[in-house]
Amino acid sequence: MIDIAGILIDNILYVLLITLGGALISLSVHFVPVGGAPAAMAQATGIGTGTVQLAAGAGLTGLVAAGAVMQVSNSLPLVLAAGAVGAMIMMSVTMIVGTWVYVYGVGCPPASAKVKYDPITKDRQDLYVSQGTEGHGLPTVSYVSGVLGGLFGGLGGSLVYHSLITAGMGPDVVMSNLIGLASVFAVGIFFVNAVIPSYNIGGTIEGFHDPKFKKWPKAVFSSLIATFMCALVAVLAIGGL
Amino acid sequence: MSAGGPGGEAHGGVAPGKMIVFGLLGGLICIYAAHFLAMVNPVFSFIGALGAVCAIVWGADAVRRVCSYGLGTGVPSIGMIALGMGVIASLFGLAVGGLAGPIVAVIAAAIIGLVIGILANKVLGMNIPIMEKTMVEIGVAGALTIVGLSTTMAGTFMFAEVLELVVAPGYIAVIFIAGGMGILHPFNACLGPDEEQDRTLAVAFEKGGIAMVIAGIVSMVISTAAAIPSIVIGLLIWYISFAKFYELTKRDAYKVLGTGLLPTEEELQ
Repeated sequence: MIDIAGILIDNILYVLLITLGGALISLSVHFVPVGGAPAAMAQATGIGTGTVQLAAGAGLTGLVAAGAVMQVSNSLPLVLAAGAVGAMIMMSVTMIVGTWVYVYGVGCPPASAKVKYDPITKDRQDLYVSQGTEGHGLPTVSYVSGVLGGLFGGLGGSLVYHSLITAGMGPDVVMSNLIGLASVFAVGIFFVNAVIPSYNIGGTIEGFHDPKFKKWPKAVFSSLIATFMCALVAVLAIGGL
Repeated sequence: MSAGGPGGEAHGGVAPGKMIVFGLLGGLICIYAAHFLAMVNPVFSFIGALGAVCAIVWGADAVRRVCSYGLGTGVPSIGMIALGMGVIASLFGLAVGGLAGPIVAVIAAAIIGLVIGILANKVLGMNIPIMEKTMVEIGVAGALTIVGLSTTMAGTFMFAEVLELVVAPGYIAVIFIAGGMGILHPFNACLGPDEEQDRTLAVAFEKGGIAMVIAGIVSMVISTAAAIPSIVIGLLIWYISFAKFYELTKRDAYKVLGTGLLPTEEELQ
């Protein structure tokens, strides 16, 4: 058996950082324009897949980027920056290719059905929304929102990963075991925090201009509690190595 | 009863209580049996994957019950949260529990699942009456799936071996996706107004068989003698349940007609 109280007291800072990372991931999902199955048929604005798949894609890319940087440096700002940039690139690439498909493949202009004017470009939206759809494609505001989602998701994911690795670092730790365990815990925490906000928004959202975005405090509160529990068990398991 | 629209309670089939007994007890007994018998002879490590199959079928049934209400976000999300909770709880259980590892994992998964279920209903306002109960079931099923498949891969559930043989080489990612597929895919594939429990669970058994074959292939690293029973029994489970699924599909279909091959260009003219 391991010394539970001792490990917790030593690592309480990391538990809090992991919890913060989880809340950031939860917030990030609200920025990502997810359209789900309707968007896949160009009948709703956003990327045509589910929240979890997108968040997982962006988060795992961030995790890989953060992990690669951690091979050469342990500096927290550098790891966070790498994770954030990795996730932002992943989101941007997904969205630009999606836009090509919608514009050149499906043949519909990117348009939002939730606002009359794009808050960023001030372009008129409602004229371009096809009848019977909830918008289609990725208008500028959704694209910018998605990149912001990548930023927060990547920050959160790499914060969780960095905290787990640092919490488990010890004189007699086998590095491959620690990296494996930290990655698995980070992925688990990421999935939990990707699903909670997706229940909050009911599966689809256009970005920060969507009325559903205002519900984010509920999901972030839920994620804080859920991640705190996950962080406790993760740090106990990792600290006991 | 679509994933996006409003739904109601799932009807018919085996009662939830029996599925819980099947998944929880079946899973735990198989995992412990695999652990102790594999010490005598590594051949018996395949029993762990049988426990995972029990847990997968139970998890798929719980997903079926909760998703019948309509989550608004697609069925895969709940499979992913199951394995997310499960992987955290199971590795924690194995790390701190020693011989009681699987039981600690079950308890940890139940607590995390209960909290997430309460948050989903009370804070996020999902208002699904069975959310708390099924989140506990799904989390525990996810944890047992991971422990069961890990036991087959490593030949034991002691943390040091699991860490070295399953987690560090990354096979845990395979377990994550194979187990997640087993729990989320059956209802996702069969949902609709004509969904039947036996047909959905036939898919769950089939996915469990595939997960077992994969676990067998990985356990080849440790010993070929341990790998062969897992692969053979996994293939057998896969074949029987797929044949059963095909039979039930024909039973539930209004009519099954052969359309023949696509017409050739000359025939069209």
